[in-house]
Amino acid sequence: MREKIEQLLLKTQKPSRYIGGEHGSIIKDKSKIDVRFAFCFPDVYDVGMSHLGMKILYGLKNSVENYWCERVFMPEKDFEKLMRENDIPLYALESLDPLTEFDFIGFTLQYELSYTNVLAMLDLAGIPVRAKDRHDLTPIVMGGGPCACNPEPLADFFDLFILGEGEEVNLEVLSLYEKMKPNNPTKQEFLREAAKIEGVYVPAFYDVDYNTDGTVKAITPNIDSAPAKVKKRIIKDFDKVYYPDGFVVPFTSIVHDRAVVEVLRGCIRGCRFCQAGFIYRPFREKNIDTIKAETKCICEQTGYEEVSLSSLSTSDYTRINDLLESLVEYTDDERINLSLPSLRVDNFSEELLEKIKSVRKSGLTFAPEAGTQKLRNVINKNVTEDEIMHTCKMAFEGGYANVKLYFMLGLPEETMEDIEGIAKLAQDVVDLYYETPKEKRGRGIQVSISTATFVPKPFTPFEFEPQATSNEIKAKQQHLFESITSKKIKCSCHQQNVSILEAVLARGDRRLCDAIYTAWKKGCTLDGWDEHFRYDLWLEAFDECGVDISFYANRRRSYDEVLPWSHLDYLVSHEFLVRENKKAHNAETTRNCKEGCSGCGVKKECGGVYCG
Amino acid sequence: MADFLVPKNQSLVLERFDYRLTYGKTGRAKYISHLDLMRTMQRVFKRAKIPIWYTQGFNPHAYLNFPLALSLGTDSTVEVLDVALLEEHDSDEIMTRLNACMPEGLHIYKVAKPVLKHTEIAQAEYTIKFNSNTSADEAKTRFEHFAGRDKIEIEKRTKKKGINIVDIKPHINLVSATASDNMTVIDIILPAGCQFNLNTSLVMDAFCKLESVEIDNIYTTRTKIMCKNGEDFI
Repeated sequence: MREKIEQLLLKTQKPSRYIGGEHGSIIKDKSKIDVRFAFCFPDVYDVGMSHLGMKILYGLKNSVENYWCERVFMPEKDFEKLMRENDIPLYALESLDPLTEFDFIGFTLQYELSYTNVLAMLDLAGIPVRAKDRHDLTPIVMGGGPCACNPEPLADFFDLFILGEGEEVNLEVLSLYEKMKPNNPTKQEFLREAAKIEGVYVPAFYDVDYNTDGTVKAITPNIDSAPAKVKKRIIKDFDKVYYPDGFVVPFTSIVHDRAVVEVLRGCIRGCRFCQAGFIYRPFREKNIDTIKAETKCICEQTGYEEVSLSSLSTSDYTRINDLLESLVEYTDDERINLSLPSLRVDNFSEELLEKIKSVRKSGLTFAPEAGTQKLRNVINKNVTEDEIMHTCKMAFEGGYANVKLYFMLGLPEETMEDIEGIAKLAQDVVDLYYETPKEKRGRGIQVSISTATFVPKPFTPFEFEPQATSNEIKAKQQHLFESITSKKIKCSCHQQNVSILEAVLARGDRRLCDAIYTAWKKGCTLDGWDEHFRYDLWLEAFDECGVDISFYANRRRSYDEVLPWSHLDYLVSHEFLVRENKKAHNAETTRNCKEGCSGCGVKKECGGVYCG
Repeated sequence: MADFLVPKNQSLVLERFDYRLTYGKTGRAKYISHLDLMRTMQRVFKRAKIPIWYTQGFNPHAYLNFPLALSLGTDSTVEVLDVALLEEHDSDEIMTRLNACMPEGLHIYKVAKPVLKHTEIAQAEYTIKFNSNTSADEAKTRFEHFAGRDKIEIEKRTKKKGINIVDIKPHINLVSATASDNMTVIDIILPAGCQFNLNTSLVMDAFCKLESVEIDNIYTTRTKIMCKNGEDFI
């Protein structure tokens, strides 16, 4: 097999992605292994290898002596073709063994556009894509990650899903399997036991009934051991959670090619469009000493010259200045760059800027998300124009001349006035630059506006909202372009069809399984890549399967509609989401967790710093 | 905040200690591209805690020099890496510490002070083993025929002029051609280095085209790096 792979490598782009052998990859003696796990990232190596969750779970499973976890990625189209032509089944990068030899095949579901890749990878491995066609105990196909909060469009393809954080429950599932395996259980027997573990969702154990209008009527368990509501898992003592002592260091450059240390989980902000802000609640932090030790450990093991702090909003770390002081002490000595990717405009202090000034920077990026204060109140993005201006002023005086501004189009309650607000905000930033003394400011101001179409997501206060139609968005994009007068402002809009597909898949139900299958059969894979995205084929697939896009994307849901994910419990209560939705329509903001608890439903016992 | 854009660690360090490393790139590591190898080696030094000397220009970078690139997919145990370090180390210690941090397939065999200038590299010897659509013996005969031609013209892409027709015949020095275990084994010396470099794949492509051979499996190994006079470079 290895011989065969090697002969194909020279015919492909960046072959080191397909052969493993990187520093930090873990090789074990197969004869001493009881559970083999193929961790699949349903996108290409360059993307998947950048993903922190995979690094954590890879290290975690391999920390158990008799478990062996290996990595698998989606090959590029050229290599997929070569593999098929030469009868090479999809294999894992460590042992180069085909996936059929594994006990578990685990997919991380990070974004909707990777769904067809899941099917493509199973098929490339020679494994039936539908769970009902896989009769043997192994391989058991499981999924997790943020999209598992509504896994219904993938329900036909998976044996089980893991909801919430994986550090504990993954090992529980594997150890259950290890215990049961000697008795040769059937798949059904194993799944029945697995469903008793908190956070494990077995879609086959639930029946979905529909109303005549197409909405879901009820979702009910069809066996006793399956709970009526599956609760997501949460790490209560986040400071003590497992963190790998090493990463796999790729040869080829990948999207995020650096050491990463997670500083906090959850977000205090509650921006109403943001799924991550709700499904990762509550806000928990690691101690400074823990973060420092993990930084040192990862830097030493990898040899990276850059370390990045990972979180949803790093500047919300309670003792951010102390943390940075402590880290800079180490990184300066070792000539390692420290980067902080997720800073917020409102607490971006001069002091903070000073601390990271030694890192060479080309520009600043802000995400005001909406053009006017009214609309920012609607989405609860509590950033004021003054704060944006204040930060830009500091940045301009510090020599920055490139500012990127991110916005969303098609938000609830959005009017053309809000669109004009985007252009005005950008213009104000340009004007501010010219007000900065010449000797202080950098040269050549460039403000880039980037807009994406809003996609309503499950478990957010906007889960009830319709997505703006294609024509509405077109008109808004047009209006935005017309509102921009300065040549210093560049504006680009995200491809709209992608957002429509995301909207359908994000809030879809089990009836979409066939459409995803059909789209994949028609050749849709790597949908997240512009050059491969085939909206026409998706439309054909939806059409053939009788799926009405507008039913999923553009329909407002009533507060009492049974949503396809209503049997899944992400701790944030339905009542809270309804309350937040109503406040949004009144343009009322909600304080952040630090300012005071707003009663989202996440209990104090989950370990949240601010939960009361 | 005017010092915002000035990189840190700008104090000049002029003292440097030069070493020449002989390393191997085999197995899975032979698919690391030249550019990626640079990054990979830099990280190996970082992990081994052997600080590399940085160039002292406006854009300081670690001083690592691979005088002769190795084609992707070619095995070798005779590769050369020149490096400047911040501190003087014992050669054996450098070797032990680096090897402890190497990914699978990369290995240091020798560390020494450089003697010859890297521009002295002029030629390299390769062993090419392959299966083809004809018998090993027949392929061997055809290769000999190929190497005996008066002219071997190939198209070579250049940066400026587009495609050039070049006769590579005078540059091909066939050491031996044999057939064993159903494989044809070619031993060949080709020009290498910064003056003129001839890739084995160009030679093999020309061979396939001119002698109507289709190759199934091919294994290439660089066995020697030499100066103009045929002396071993390392």
